[in-house]
Amino acid sequence: MYKNNLVKVSPSEGVRIARRTQINRATVQGIIPPHMLKELAQRGDQKQRERAFQALTLSERIRERREVLGPLATAVATPAGEKRRTVYDVKNECCDPHSPCLPGSLVREEGDPSKGDPSVDEAYDGAGATYDLYREIFERNSIDDRGMRIDSTVHFCQDYNNAFFNGTQMVYGDGDVDIFEPFTRAIDVIGHELTHGVTQYEANLLYAFQSGALNESMSDVFGSLVKQRKLNQTADEADWLIGEGLFTSKVNGKALRSMKEPGTAYDDPKLGRDPQPAHMRDVKRLPFWEDNGGVHINSGIPNRAFCITAMEIGGFAWERAGRIWYIALRDRLRRFSNFQDAANKTFLVAGELFGAGSEEQKAVRKGWTDAGINITVRAMEAIPAR
Amino acid sequence: MLIKLERTGGFAGLRTAVTLDTDTLPAEEARKLHEMVDSAGFFNLPAKFPLPARGADYFVYRLTVEKDGRKHTVDVSDPAVPATLRPLLQSLVVYARK
Repeated sequence: MYKNNLVKVSPSEGVRIARRTQINRATVQGIIPPHMLKELAQRGDQKQRERAFQALTLSERIRERREVLGPLATAVATPAGEKRRTVYDVKNECCDPHSPCLPGSLVREEGDPSKGDPSVDEAYDGAGATYDLYREIFERNSIDDRGMRIDSTVHFCQDYNNAFFNGTQMVYGDGDVDIFEPFTRAIDVIGHELTHGVTQYEANLLYAFQSGALNESMSDVFGSLVKQRKLNQTADEADWLIGEGLFTSKVNGKALRSMKEPGTAYDDPKLGRDPQPAHMRDVKRLPFWEDNGGVHINSGIPNRAFCITAMEIGGFAWERAGRIWYIALRDRLRRFSNFQDAANKTFLVAGELFGAGSEEQKAVRKGWTDAGINITVRAMEAIPAR
Repeated sequence: MLIKLERTGGFAGLRTAVTLDTDTLPAEEARKLHEMVDSAGFFNLPAKFPLPARGADYFVYRLTVEKDGRKHTVDVSDPAVPATLRPLLQSLVVYARK
């Protein structure tokens, strides 16, 4: 059995597993049995619950993969454990792989004081808030979980109405003054872009159709959590808007997307109406050439599922709903996962973390059901024992 | 010459579209557009470009040109846009904003 597993694990997967183990080696607590951890996770005080979550998810991961760890763990370098941010300025140069200009000139490094350029400072602070959410709440060390330096470039191109992740770094445009403010203005945009990096290193969801919309939704979810945590807002208090503050006053719209009420973020004579569906019955079937099959459109559906889940659970969304989604992204979702997979996996993860039939698991079911996706696995079903 | 651009995707997921008939444009503008289509070698460009292997929130373009009885459509996403095509796309985005 173990031998079979060994054969199936690819070298890259092995390295990934090994480096995780090393990061967490100090925190491994294999003494408390899972049922007690589950009990603690549900009934303990805040600190006990957090520790129990951590130990539980770790033990899940170890149990699955223990057999491959031994020989590989020692072969991997020790990861850097600190926040390392750099911000570059490309001074409104436009470029592409044919005429490379990224990352541009270095303007701010970790620990440097504010530079007085709002875009530089927002990119720096936003990357910091995002790093902190991942580190302090999800025990993740940067984009790659190995302390990767977080690079951002601001002032990209002219009148550039976009921000993107290029596989290595974040890039922010200044907006065109007419419709958009600079894209660093909204902290959730920064969390969104950085999360594309996390997704690339984890589930690596294919950026097309439903897996792409799920990729987008993960970025909105964690982008919104960065903002909510920064503002110290509970799920009830949060606005659940994405890109609030990016539209200029000339646009009739409060934000680019609404996770709470997809399809209602803007309605403007020039831009048209927010096209996001809020329910599976309204999913848009678009060809690939349109937004990679509607990845920024259909993300409304999983976005709403998350928002409802978090509101049902109550309190700070990053604590429980966020943890369920993070673990699904890190350990359960894969390249071709679709909405149904996401629904089932988050439901199972909720059961593992909080207990089958727990309030949290019921909340996950409600979230997806209200968005039109029924859970098709049983509450008691766990990861198959090996 | 007829030119149609549809740009989708990007972080905002907004649709930006424009259709131009160079016969109805001022002569100088029409000349520039013809020149850009020619220097892009538009009719020799592949209909589809390979997907970016990594990255997210890039703009996605569908560009169709009808000229002298020929019609060609190109689907391409940043950052794979050929350098020769970029000036045309940028200019069309400016038209779309008008």
